[in-house]
Amino acid sequence: MHIETGVARAMENRLFRSMFEERKRVFVDLLRWEVPVLAGRYEIDQFDNDRAVYIVIAGSDGEHRASARLLPTAHDHILGTIFPELCEDTPPRGPDILEITRFCLARRLRARERLEVRNQLVSALVEYALGNHIRSYTGVAEWPWFQQILSFGWHCLPLGLPATDQGRCLVALQIDIDGSTREQLRASGVFRPAGLADLASAA
Amino acid sequence: MIGLRDVQDFCAVAATIKDSQALAGLMAEITRAMGFRHFALVHHVDLNSAAGSVHIVDYPPDWVERFQARRLYASDPIHRASHRTHVGFAWSAVQSIIPLTAADRSILAEAHEAGLGDGFTVPAHIPGEINASCSFAMGPGEALDLDQLPLVQLIGSFAFEAARKLSRAVQHPCENPSLTERQAECVALVARGKTDWEISQILGIGQETVIQHVKDARDRYGVTKRTLLAIRALFDGQISFADVFGR
Repeated sequence: MHIETGVARAMENRLFRSMFEERKRVFVDLLRWEVPVLAGRYEIDQFDNDRAVYIVIAGSDGEHRASARLLPTAHDHILGTIFPELCEDTPPRGPDILEITRFCLARRLRARERLEVRNQLVSALVEYALGNHIRSYTGVAEWPWFQQILSFGWHCLPLGLPATDQGRCLVALQIDIDGSTREQLRASGVFRPAGLADLASAA
Repeated sequence: MIGLRDVQDFCAVAATIKDSQALAGLMAEITRAMGFRHFALVHHVDLNSAAGSVHIVDYPPDWVERFQARRLYASDPIHRASHRTHVGFAWSAVQSIIPLTAADRSILAEAHEAGLGDGFTVPAHIPGEINASCSFAMGPGEALDLDQLPLVQLIGSFAFEAARKLSRAVQHPCENPSLTERQAECVALVARGKTDWEISQILGIGQETVIQHVKDARDRYGVTKRTLLAIRALFDGQISFADVFGR
């Protein structure tokens, strides 16, 4: 797993640039989200600032296979800024809560590879939280993806009722990470050991 | 009537449950609290052949018997509709999801006679797993409380995940065979209706090699037919519909 903080530093690195390109292919070309595209090839929005943390899973060929963007909830983030009404109470905020956004699997991957690399990314997110004193992740999920998120076996709670926005059914959720999360992922067959060297270099 | 707090409490308890009897008890409780009379938490498979599948049902016994006897798990219109959508739907709106045949209508009428009124079904699709759903039913003549449905949808999802955890505990850990990358590529092309020669041309490898890959893939699944191989690989998520239909 590869970790970088801040959009400017990420854009200096070929692997992370290809993440922004893949995000364009997935969220703009495939899912038709209305989000900005930079230079016709990079999907970069207002939350890609100097505080955003990027986690990338690369293949043995060094190419981007999966990635996610983590936003500090103490600052502007999607649940707090765009979808606060998805939460019954105020959206959870704090230095130990990050929001998972732009969970992205490369389009070229086939079904079996997608599941494998998805598992690697989910495991990497757990390792990142454990290594950086992150207690919880929050996020907004489309309904079909929500059932998959539950199936990873980690501790997950809804923050509000599912609501329809532009034809999509969305739900806000919180995932609590602690010493037992690895075991929960292992029990559901999702856990994959992350490259610890990467974690050390990121700390 | 329940609220989000009740859903969160349900999730917390459901996550700790250790056996299906306890889950059935919890389900019965929340079903009543939401104003329903019956529930069914099921994988859409024949009970006789599927070890480790979820089947926690509180429907009128008469209907459960008929459902099993006539093997309706595959043809039941509510099950079929749930394969076409990800979000929950009211049974009274099933026609907006699939066209109903005369046979479908008679199944729905029979269910009604057996004591099932309108209901709400939450589909549960996990890649690589059998389709499942969580349904809640009213008594005949009773109306769904539309304001409750988003909460019912959440309950259905968490209930299924709790049941899935329980069934995983009894399942064979390494049930699904795995294909090599090349085998999966060949099987995806088999699913597209390509012959071994065509596959060899597309992949730029020898026809003998393709024959061997397809044979090895069949062996891994223990099937002799190419059609069955493609279906099994699709079902397991070794290949996807996107691989077959292109993107």
